[in-house]
Amino acid sequence: MHTSINRRHLMGGAAALAATTALPQGAQAASGRLNVWKFGGTPREVEFWPKQDAAFSASQPAVRLNYSYFNGQIRRQKILAGFQTRQLADVVIAFGQDIPEFAGFGMIQPLEGIAGNRIAGWKDRLVPEVLASGMHEGALYGLPTYVDMASFLAIDLTAMREAGFTRPPATWSELRQYAKAMTKPNRPGIAIPATTAPVDINIFEAIAYANGARIFDEETKKVMLNEKGMVDALQLYADLIADGSTPPGTAMTGTNFRDTATLFAQGRCAMWMGMSWLNTPWGTPDTLNWTGTPFPRPDRVTGSKPAVAALMDPTAILMVSARTTNADAAVEYLNFWSQNQQLALWGDAPEFSRIPGGKIAWASEGLAKRWPGWVESYRAGTLFQGAEPMPRFIGVSVVEAALGTAMQQVVLGQRSVIDALNAANAAAQQQIDILRG
Amino acid sequence: MRRLSDRWLAYAMVLPVVAAVLAFVVGPTYDVFSLSFTRFVMGQERGFGTLVNFRALFADPLFTLVLVNTAIWILGGTLFCVLLGLGVGAYLARDGRMPTALRAIILLPWILPDVVTAMAWKWMLHGQVGIIGQTIQAAGLSDQPISLLGDPDLVMWVLVAVVVWRKMPLVALILCAAIRSVPQEHFEAARLDGANGWEQFRYIVLPHIAFSLTAVSVISMIWITAEFTLPWVMTGGGPANASQILSTYIYQQSFQFFNWGVGSAMSVINLVMLLGIVSLYLYVVRRSWRSGASA
Repeated sequence: MHTSINRRHLMGGAAALAATTALPQGAQAASGRLNVWKFGGTPREVEFWPKQDAAFSASQPAVRLNYSYFNGQIRRQKILAGFQTRQLADVVIAFGQDIPEFAGFGMIQPLEGIAGNRIAGWKDRLVPEVLASGMHEGALYGLPTYVDMASFLAIDLTAMREAGFTRPPATWSELRQYAKAMTKPNRPGIAIPATTAPVDINIFEAIAYANGARIFDEETKKVMLNEKGMVDALQLYADLIADGSTPPGTAMTGTNFRDTATLFAQGRCAMWMGMSWLNTPWGTPDTLNWTGTPFPRPDRVTGSKPAVAALMDPTAILMVSARTTNADAAVEYLNFWSQNQQLALWGDAPEFSRIPGGKIAWASEGLAKRWPGWVESYRAGTLFQGAEPMPRFIGVSVVEAALGTAMQQVVLGQRSVIDALNAANAAAQQQIDILRG
Repeated sequence: MRRLSDRWLAYAMVLPVVAAVLAFVVGPTYDVFSLSFTRFVMGQERGFGTLVNFRALFADPLFTLVLVNTAIWILGGTLFCVLLGLGVGAYLARDGRMPTALRAIILLPWILPDVVTAMAWKWMLHGQVGIIGQTIQAAGLSDQPISLLGDPDLVMWVLVAVVVWRKMPLVALILCAAIRSVPQEHFEAARLDGANGWEQFRYIVLPHIAFSLTAVSVISMIWITAEFTLPWVMTGGGPANASQILSTYIYQQSFQFFNWGVGSAMSVINLVMLLGIVSLYLYVVRRSWRSGASA
C-alpha cells in the first residue's frame, strides 16, 4: 500500500490538532450537514477562511461542512433567493447593515435562544464595541469577526510635500485647498468614488454623519436626505469638482472605490477616499510614499444630529438562518470562529486591512508595528469613541440607492445639491412607505 | 389497437416537454401574476387582490424614464441588430475569400461570456483610463478623455451599440444562410431583365428571406428584452438612472429593495408589452410569415 503525506496534509492536520486542543471546555459534539455561505472579503481573507474551515471539520468530524464563497455585492440577492426557495445556508457570513432587514423578514434568528451558554465566552474574547455591532433591538443576531470603519483618506505624501504641505488635511476647507494645490495635468488632486455601489455610498454617508447628518429617523419614519448636514456634505463633493480638483464627473460616476484605489496606485490621482481597508495593498507599489488618515472633518458641524466620529460595520458577521435544521452545528461553527486562533489576525499571514474583532489581535506586535495609531487609540479606549453603526433599518437600501442617484446627479452637474437631495428624499420616502406599509 | 398505442406513445413522448413548460414557464408566470396583485409589507404577504403595486409603479417618477429607456433598448437594439445583420449577412453571402473568412470568425462576440464582454467594454469606455476615450482625445476630437458610459445623454445609445455588437453576428449568419438559399436562376433571370443590384435585393432577396427576417426580428427582440447582464454590469442602471431599463429596475426593486410586489408588477407590464409588440409585428408581416411557414 502506498501512503504519502504532503505539506498541505501536514499543515491541515497540524491546524486541526491545534483547533481541537483550542476547543473550549464543554464543547458539544454536533453532527449532520452544515451549509455556510460567505460573502466578500480581501484576497487574503478569502484564502484564510476555508483553510481554517478545514480545522473546524477536523475538530467536528461528525459535521459535514459545505462552505461556499460569493462576491459581497450580491449577498442580498443570493440570501433572499435562498430564503425564498428554502435553500438558505445554515450560516451566512454577510454584513451587519443587513441585520434589520434579514431579522425583520424572518431570515435569521437571535443567537441567545440557540447559543446562550456560548455567549459569555464570546464576550471574553471579542472587543465589546465590535460584538455590539451584531446587536439589533436588544438581541444578538450575529458574531462579528472584525469591522470596517469609514471614512479615511489616502494621500500621496510626495505630492503633498511638492504642493507645500507638511501634514494631511484636517478640515473640509483644507481638503479643498490641498486637492486644488495637488492637481496637475492628467493627475487630479482627489478621486471621488461615485458609482451607485453601496460602498461608495457608505463612504459618503460617513462624511455626512460627521457633519451631524442622518439618512433616516426611525422614530418619525422620515427620510432625512435633504437636511442641512447632508446638503453641506454633498456640497463638498460639488465644490471639489467645481474647483477642478477631480477627474471629470462623467468619469467618476463609473469609478468605484476599487477603481479609485487603482488610480491612486498608478499615480493618476493624489488622494482617494475609502474605509479602513484602504490599508489593503491595492496594487500600490512600494515606491509610492503614502499614508492613510481619517477623512477631514467639517469646519463647523451644520447637521441637526450629533457629529459621528466614524461609521462602522461588521462585514464578516456570522448569522444563523431562522430555518436551519442544524442549529447545534451552526452554533459550533460560530463558536469555532470566536476562538483566538481564528481572531488573531489571520494566523501567520497578517491581515492588517480590517479593524480586528478579537482582543488577542490588539496585543499583536505586528499590528502595533504596522498601525501604531490604531493600537494606541485602542489601548487608550478611544478607538471606537463617537463611532456609530453604519445606517441599518428596514428599507436602508432604498434610501441609499436614492442617495446614490442624488450623488451622481450632483457629480454630473445635472442638478443642484438641494434639488437632487429633495428629489431623492421624496423618492425614498415613497418607497419606504410602500415597503413598510 | 395499434393506432391507440401510437397515440399514447406520442403523449408520453411530449409529456416531459409539457411538464417542463408547466414547471418552468407557466408556474413562474402564474406566480409573478399573483405576486403583482399581492400586498407585501416588510417581506410579509398582507393580502391578495390589490392594485397597490401598479399604483405605486405609476406614481414612481422614475418609471416613465425606465419605459423610455426600455423602448430605446428594445426597439433601437432590434432595429440596428436586424438592419446591420441584414447588411452584413448580404455581404457574407457573397462568394470570395474575405466573406468566407469572416463567416468563420464573425461569431466571436457571440461566444464570449456576457460578463467578460460587459467588463471589457466597461473598461474600454471608461472616462479616465478607457482606450476609446483616449483615442478620441489623441485624435484631437476632444480636450479630455470622453466617458461615453458616464454621459447620461449618450449612455443608452452606447449600450445599444454594445448589444448590437454582441447579438448581430448570429442574425447576420442566419440571414446569410437564407440569402444563399435563394436559387441562382432567379438572379440570372433578373439580370437578363436588366435589374440592378438594389432591385435584385428588393424584389428577389427580401421576399425570399422574409420568413427568416421575421423570425430573427422576433428572436432578437426577445433576446434584447431578456438581456440583463450587459446593462447591469456596464452601468448598474446609472449614471443617475440614465440607463435604468425594465430588467435592471425589476432586479433592483425585487432583490435590492425587497419590493417583490412592485418588481412583479413591472414583470407583468414587461410581459404584456412584449406580447403586444410581437403580436403587432407578426400581424404586420403576417403574409410573409404564412408564405414562409407553408413553404
